[in-house]
Amino acid sequence: MDMSGSCEIVVVDFWANGFGMRVRIALEEKGIMYKYEEENLENPQRSQLVLDMNPVRKSVPILIDEGKPVCDSLAILEYIDERWKDGFPSLLPEDPYERAVARFWAQYVDNKIFDTQAKFLKSKGETKEDVKKELIGQLKLLDDALGEKLYFGGDKFGYLDVAFIPFSSMFSGYESHGSFKLEEECPKLSAWVKRCLAREGVSRVLPDFHQIYEIHKKWYGVE
Amino acid sequence: MPTDEQLLLLDLWVSPFSTRVKIALAEKGLSYETQEEDVLGGKSDLLLKSNPLYAKVPVLLHNGKPVVESTNIVYYIDETWPSPQLLPACSYGKSRARFWADFIDKKVFDAGSSIWKTKGEELEAAKKEFIDILKKLEGAMGDKDYFGGDKFGFVDVILIGLTTWFYVYEKYGGFKIEKECPKFAAWINRCKKRDSVAKNYVDPERTYEFVGMLRKMHGVE
Repeated sequence: MDMSGSCEIVVVDFWANGFGMRVRIALEEKGIMYKYEEENLENPQRSQLVLDMNPVRKSVPILIDEGKPVCDSLAILEYIDERWKDGFPSLLPEDPYERAVARFWAQYVDNKIFDTQAKFLKSKGETKEDVKKELIGQLKLLDDALGEKLYFGGDKFGYLDVAFIPFSSMFSGYESHGSFKLEEECPKLSAWVKRCLAREGVSRVLPDFHQIYEIHKKWYGVE
Repeated sequence: MPTDEQLLLLDLWVSPFSTRVKIALAEKGLSYETQEEDVLGGKSDLLLKSNPLYAKVPVLLHNGKPVVESTNIVYYIDETWPSPQLLPACSYGKSRARFWADFIDKKVFDAGSSIWKTKGEELEAAKKEFIDILKKLEGAMGDKDYFGGDKFGFVDVILIGLTTWFYVYEKYGGFKIEKECPKFAAWINRCKKRDSVAKNYVDPERTYEFVGMLRKMHGVE
């Protein structure tokens, strides 16, 4: 596919990819039209488009703007925020300290929560109980970070909300797998999920919970 | 910098991540105090309070407010004191810089650690991976003098601190970066001529001694 000189915004992604959902939600929030190109991650071979646009990491999501690729979901969020700035709702806070805090938590989601939830879904028996405690502990930290705010961004839905909300599509999956209720363990986070799902852009992008649980069960060998 | 601004860096002399932050501060002409942390012995109350989740250095306290994770700290420094700017001016350039900063953070130090932590076949595999990573970075730099293009920039700051440990990898891996990746070696030497880097570049021999001690602790010998 020759992307050079194209005026289109294209998002290359897989429907069940939480990192890609971030990009699509951000574009929805900004009201930016885009073309969606599905990359089937169930096929181990990457498409020529992905190999051309992201030769270093060979991963999705990729945002293609006027033929030029932007890669890595958090880098894409910052790009989207800067590219469509004046006259658009902003994602990142203005204050550098608040930006540092938001970035810190987004990286925590990527570096800790993502791995822990994968470990949790793959584990059985006693290990599962231990990892479940670890996962709940990490979610409680996010619960504390949210505090009494409506969103992680304060009164406004922002960068960290966009970064974390895709993971919520698996929350009922974790509950089924671990026999616990998120509403009891992390009540603020639970309320936050409902609040975010009421947003058009979020509900349009997040997949059906059953479908996403089924595909995770397949990937992680969950019985 | 206004005299009522206070900067304190919680530091470990040998940490390449601390070096990274010190270079960023020097590029901006910022003065700061340091508090050396004995990370192997006992961490200070201030460190544990400032970075409760990870309890790691570096931590930059700006008027008492902590910023943690070295790359995050460099973003913070660049945004709070915008001149001279480290990140490129345009959004696309910024996105490429962020991409490479993330690649560097996920790959370089861990690949290097695999070299000094292993022996035999594992070591050979680790060496090969490390050199592959440097070659990818050479590709990113292209024909320019710096990752920032003609100017020393954000990605240069993110990466150059990590090279203080490269002598360690060369010694334990039995290779020379000058031979395997000459463009990369030339970039290191170019950066070391800058004041900000020269003043903060930890002596590789001291680092090598420190890692020798770590190897014993890890039971590698």
